[in-house]
Amino acid sequence: MEKGILGLFTYVDTLLEAAEKLKGSGYSITIFSPVPLGHEIDHALGERKNYIKYLAFIGAVVGFMLGIVLTLGTAAMYVLPRGGRAIFPATPTLLLSYETAILLGVFFTLTGFLVFAKLPSFKEKFYDPEVAIDSFGLLVDGVREDKFGDIEKVMREYGANEVKRIEKK
Amino acid sequence: MTGQEYMKSEISYREVNEDVVRTMTTTGPAYYIALISSMLVFAGFWLLPWAYQIYEGQGVTGLQTPAFWGIYLANFVFWIGISHSGTLLSAILFITQTPWRRSIYRSAEAMTFFSVLTAAIFVFVHMGRPWNFYWTMPYPNQRQLWLNFQSPLMFDVLAISAYMTSSVIFLYIGSIPDLAAVRDRVTGWRKEVYTVLALGWRGTDTEWHWLNKAYTFFAVFIIPLAVSVHSIVSWDFALSKVPGLNKTIFAPYFVVGAIYSGTAGIVTLMIILRKALNIEKYITLNHFSQLGKLLVVMSLLWSYINVLEVFTGWYANTSFENEALTYRMFTPPYSYMFWIMILCNSFMPLLLIFKKARTSIFIALIVSLAINVGMWLERYLIIATSLPRKFLPYMWHDYSPSWIEISTTIGSFGFFTMLFLLFVKLWPSVSIYEVKEDIGIPMKKGHH
Repeated sequence: MEKGILGLFTYVDTLLEAAEKLKGSGYSITIFSPVPLGHEIDHALGERKNYIKYLAFIGAVVGFMLGIVLTLGTAAMYVLPRGGRAIFPATPTLLLSYETAILLGVFFTLTGFLVFAKLPSFKEKFYDPEVAIDSFGLLVDGVREDKFGDIEKVMREYGANEVKRIEKK
Repeated sequence: MTGQEYMKSEISYREVNEDVVRTMTTTGPAYYIALISSMLVFAGFWLLPWAYQIYEGQGVTGLQTPAFWGIYLANFVFWIGISHSGTLLSAILFITQTPWRRSIYRSAEAMTFFSVLTAAIFVFVHMGRPWNFYWTMPYPNQRQLWLNFQSPLMFDVLAISAYMTSSVIFLYIGSIPDLAAVRDRVTGWRKEVYTVLALGWRGTDTEWHWLNKAYTFFAVFIIPLAVSVHSIVSWDFALSKVPGLNKTIFAPYFVVGAIYSGTAGIVTLMIILRKALNIEKYITLNHFSQLGKLLVVMSLLWSYINVLEVFTGWYANTSFENEALTYRMFTPPYSYMFWIMILCNSFMPLLLIFKKARTSIFIALIVSLAINVGMWLERYLIIATSLPRKFLPYMWHDYSPSWIEISTTIGSFGFFTMLFLLFVKLWPSVSIYEVKEDIGIPMKKGHH
């Protein structure tokens, strides 16, 4: 069974200091928190990329084209002459394409979120329910167990309330 | 916040989890009474009369030449309007990082979903043959019949479907961390349900990072979508040639009206919710004060557009426009409705200019209810006073709703209440993680 070591902190700044230290020593770390810490983590560990914006844009473009195909395509396949009015009018085409652009933009963004956040995932993973309440967790995994002592020492030095050796569940 | 401040803050992180889970798991008899009553209202006032209408045909309604649109469509526009503030307000306040959004937005977003659903069902009620609803979907068929996408009614189908789908995604994705928090604290069937709903969320930095990015884009998409949806609803009317409906001001008028009635709906709902779930510490008087300011602004905007509508119609001085205005403003019973609407929407909300009124729950409740009475009347007047007074007097015919139409209108409130009551027990109605953000992120040495 794969094991990891999890430090539970009360304060975010002490957790991030410990995270910086352990990351600097070459360990792979994961931070758990009950609230989003985007700004704080970016500040301490560097900014991360945002690929979702490309997906959102591509989704909107694909949606817009889909809207054009839908409105003009259906008009072409079932021609309805209406007193000399255009068979392929611009206004409704643009209007409906605007709606489909947004809809597909939302779908692509949703897909991007699920893919990048690796959700849904019901496999066994390292987790402690305290991190959904009021503790901030720092997990180090993928290291030999004889390193756990050093890691625990660093975590305690930076103010971890509790350090646990945990297994995936 | 510094470590000391964190310890001193009134509500702890743990308390937030406990309080929200309590609202879902502890249920008193009052809840069941309310739920069963709302179900009975829904079944008795809506389902049964609707079944009767399907059996007998549309002849049992008050709809006849030339008024083929009546109270059903007034209800449709009303419920779509109620839906508008939830997701739209949540998205705008998220983008502008307004802190008081955090404890109210979840319920407001749910309100959006349930009211869009109520509105959509009114379309089916109005259709007469609801089993043919799939004719509004573009699907390949043997005779190569395709939809006429140049009809405003088709704009509606697409726009409302897109809005409902996006709103549900917005609500669900924003709830995932809270569903995980609930998953960790419940047992039995709830555990299994929330395990699936939480999608395996653990609260890692990667998950939060992508959630935040995706949520921002959802908000960015939702704002223009919400505006476009109510514009499109207005074009169901404004793209006709009927006096009283053919107005260029209708799109902004409907958008403003929707935000206005939706915000009033949020106020009413929050007053009931905070009392019923005992969550006064999360939904505070400050929330009502902020929402009250928004209501005053929307009231002024709404009044301005109303004055414009009447003024431009009157200034045109055509017999058709004059008749439409006279019929609406000075002919009973519509004149009573019109002036009650003006009282409810233009004058009563002015009370909220005063902070004492904004922070008085009683006044907030009365004003918010009055606004929605006024907004319902507005929608009813738009429909009931235009089609029956089309160009030629020999075609004039006053519209008066039958008992079935009135009954389904009452029943729709039962349906909405029933859905909302189920929601508060099955979904975290206050955002756990965002209320925690409101409390502050604990820092030992203070914020950097």
